[in-house]
Amino acid sequence: MSILPKNVSFSRQVLPILAVIGLVVAALYIFTDLPDRSTSEPEQQPPKATGDLANSPRVAGTGLVEPSSEIIDIGSALSGLVTDLRVRPGDRVEKGQPLFLVDDRAARARLAEANAAISEARAAIAEAQAAQRTASQQLALYDNLDDPAAVSRAEVIRAEGDATAAQTRLELARARLSAAQAQAGSARTELGRLTVRAPITGEILAVNIRLGEFVSTQGGSSDPFIQMGETTPLHVRVDVDENEAVRVKLGADAIVSPRGAADIRANAKFVRAEPLVVPKRQLTNSAAERVDVRVLQIIYALPQSDVFRVGQQVDAFIPAAEAAGEEE
Amino acid sequence: MSTGQDSGTPMDTSAIGGCAPEAAICARGIVRDFESGQTTIRVLHGIDTDIKPGEMTYVVGESGSGKTTLISIMCGILWPTEGEVRVFGTDIYSLSDSELVNFRLNNIGFIFQQYNLIPSIDAAANAAVPLIAQGMEIEEAREKAKVLLDKLNIGDQADKLPSQLSGGQQQRVAIARALVHEPRLVVCDEPTAALDANSGRRVMDLLREVAVAKDRACIIVTHDNRIFDLADRILVLEDGEVTHDGTEMPEDH
Amino acid sequence: MLWIAIRMLTGDAQKFYGLLFGIAFSTLLITQQLTIFVNLIERGASGVYNAPEAEIWVMDPVSRTTDVNYAMPSTALDEVRSVPGVEWAVPHLRAAASVRTGSGDLEGVAIIGVDDATLIGLPERLVEGDKKILAQPDTVIIDDGGVVNLFENGEDPIGQRLELNDQRAVIRGVADSIPSFTSQVTLYTKYSQALNFVPGTRNRLTFVLAGVSEGLTADEVAARIEEQTGLKAETREEFADAGVNFIIENTGIPTNFGITVVLGFVVGVAIVGLTFSLFIRDNIKQFGALKAIGVTNAKIVRMVGAQAALVGTVGYALGVIGTVAFIYAFSGNPFFKGFYIPWQIPLISLVSVIIILAITGFIALRSVLSTEPAAVFR
Repeated sequence: MSILPKNVSFSRQVLPILAVIGLVVAALYIFTDLPDRSTSEPEQQPPKATGDLANSPRVAGTGLVEPSSEIIDIGSALSGLVTDLRVRPGDRVEKGQPLFLVDDRAARARLAEANAAISEARAAIAEAQAAQRTASQQLALYDNLDDPAAVSRAEVIRAEGDATAAQTRLELARARLSAAQAQAGSARTELGRLTVRAPITGEILAVNIRLGEFVSTQGGSSDPFIQMGETTPLHVRVDVDENEAVRVKLGADAIVSPRGAADIRANAKFVRAEPLVVPKRQLTNSAAERVDVRVLQIIYALPQSDVFRVGQQVDAFIPAAEAAGEEE
Repeated sequence: MSTGQDSGTPMDTSAIGGCAPEAAICARGIVRDFESGQTTIRVLHGIDTDIKPGEMTYVVGESGSGKTTLISIMCGILWPTEGEVRVFGTDIYSLSDSELVNFRLNNIGFIFQQYNLIPSIDAAANAAVPLIAQGMEIEEAREKAKVLLDKLNIGDQADKLPSQLSGGQQQRVAIARALVHEPRLVVCDEPTAALDANSGRRVMDLLREVAVAKDRACIIVTHDNRIFDLADRILVLEDGEVTHDGTEMPEDH
Repeated sequence: MLWIAIRMLTGDAQKFYGLLFGIAFSTLLITQQLTIFVNLIERGASGVYNAPEAEIWVMDPVSRTTDVNYAMPSTALDEVRSVPGVEWAVPHLRAAASVRTGSGDLEGVAIIGVDDATLIGLPERLVEGDKKILAQPDTVIIDDGGVVNLFENGEDPIGQRLELNDQRAVIRGVADSIPSFTSQVTLYTKYSQALNFVPGTRNRLTFVLAGVSEGLTADEVAARIEEQTGLKAETREEFADAGVNFIIENTGIPTNFGITVVLGFVVGVAIVGLTFSLFIRDNIKQFGALKAIGVTNAKIVRMVGAQAALVGTVGYALGVIGTVAFIYAFSGNPFFKGFYIPWQIPLISLVSVIIILAITGFIALRSVLSTEPAAVFR
């Protein structure tokens, strides 16, 4: 259109064109600048129920890994210095294997004393036996005399007395021997008690004493000296909210993921449910957390795996009983 | 231009008081009332008149004589209270609104006293307005208009805006606009009112030259007595009635 | 004829630009004010949008928004995890705390504790630092708006020590997040860490964020959670709306902005209406002449429509460009952080412009249409 030749109109041509271009630019800006309100996938996988559990009734709980024997806190019957430490954390020990020794010098001294007393008692027995033998030979000599006047009556009585006294001395010496032997036995027992042994076959989980440390039988020290337990298999103790507890399908396998590694999902076999519902103690995070929720503890056996460690927190998903699908 | 709807209509000329079949305008019993508050003022009292083609007809009268009303009714922009108008055989007031508008567009050219040019388009485009309104391409319409402007001796002003033209040039543009679509009826309102005697006569000469044709009627509304002698026919209107109809002005005017 | 109409319009530069100004000003006022309004009240949902992974928010039934919340027992997490269709669920803690800055000032902050293992609940991007630094002890990540509020003298926030509930906290990252409605400083940290930063109460777990299993909608799963646990579960959109509605219900902002928008509309109608009427009145003779010559009313309407369309298009464009320029120019300002123009708003102002032009055009047209063509002979 060359109605206004070479005479381009600002208001009719330039301005509308600029306006439309500007509008397009503005529209582009508006549409590119719209905020991204879409949800994004979590960067790290959170724990989730998978497989059949993903979309069926289920119960979730948090659990703590423990040995199948539960954790055994090894104590010492006697106080004293640790003189020998035979195990390190992670060691496997047989039942009865010594774990550590407490200072046994006092017990050994008492044993030596008792042994000395035994020797002494034995000597006394020998001496008493000799005296008794002498007395009884003399008495027999008097008895074989036909002439009653050959020996005085008083002589006979003295000989009889000697024999009795010798007998008594022998018995006393025997009693002393028993006492000394008992003392030696007691000292040996104490020696045995100063050697702390593994109560079961299992794995040493923690050693909290060092050579030379004083172990006390008195209460107050918080840490157990040694913790051990049977770690094949490991168990997991899952806390289930009492509100949810009725829905749990007891006996079914649970899916268990360690914290922070939700892509690892282990199938844990049901072991038992604790008969006692307890206040929730093993908490998700803070030690300062206090809640009055009660939980049913259910124990599952974990498969052999490297990823689970005793004391680790896990997220567990347990199938729910079918009947609980309906509202009660 | 389109004359199809009225050519060859020797129809019922007698039915409305004997219109000549060739009459450009045949008005019968035109009555027009204006409401003015409570009262009704009758401006036209039953006018019967014919306008013939090929003539320059003057409608003359004092202000308030009703000449503007009459001319408005005759060219189809004002409804009569009573009466009938046939323009080239078409009963224009029986047409629908839009048909009437289109009839005007195709058959009538207007020259307004104040020209009423559109100030923001140039002379050629102003002259081409009827063609553009008929739907012609702007470029083509402007070319046609330019031919006419050349004929009116202002071809060199075709690209100027009305405000850049003198009054006489503007009037020529207005004349061009009235004729560009070759209407069969040209209505011209006080063409010489703002002009001196010589200019007025030149304009009338020009109008006679370009507007009057064998099959075209030309009505000029005026009360300018300096140009009465250029008329082919003069209708004098007084108080809503035709008091004189002849080729010359009556003596008493 | 439209060709003539457009030239008639632009021929009178004064009125043309007056009309443009009126439309542009109205558009600017309506678009810009609505934009600020929408962005401001959407700040009520910023907490929701700052946790991009969460598809469902589970909370105590009395909780209303991310900031108006009531904590649940910690087993709520397990209860939510027990619901079929919940793909995952993590704990989320939101609480208020007071922080003592290095210079000794006391400042109220929002503590957000995200899941320790997965860090779900952190904003998607960090301006500085890596999300993994949360593994370091006592680490908090501050939001970028908080940097401005807390470190007014332009110190580098990284490595700054804060005191939270008598605990040491070290800023090791800056999150790229949408500020909250109150522009409160927000500190992100691990859930376990947050428990230490927030003075102890019996229950601390304020929210559980949950994901939805494939093939299910968030609405379905949220309904299941509500049915099975008795807690309140809202989808991301519902919870965002709840935050927005809370602000609408509890502040005078909607009224104020509503008044401004109405003013913009009225000013538009007034300026445009007056100018348009003046323009038409100036040209009434030309329109009358056109009508006499033989232009139908329909064509006249179309002419005026074309004029209105030109004025409307150009004026509207100028107004929208102005708004975009405004938002763009202020995008660096922390107050306008995250501001955007919802695409609906330019449409609303477009409708307003159309209404303004329809009203004024109608008024202007009335005088043209009622003009007797015969008037040109007077």
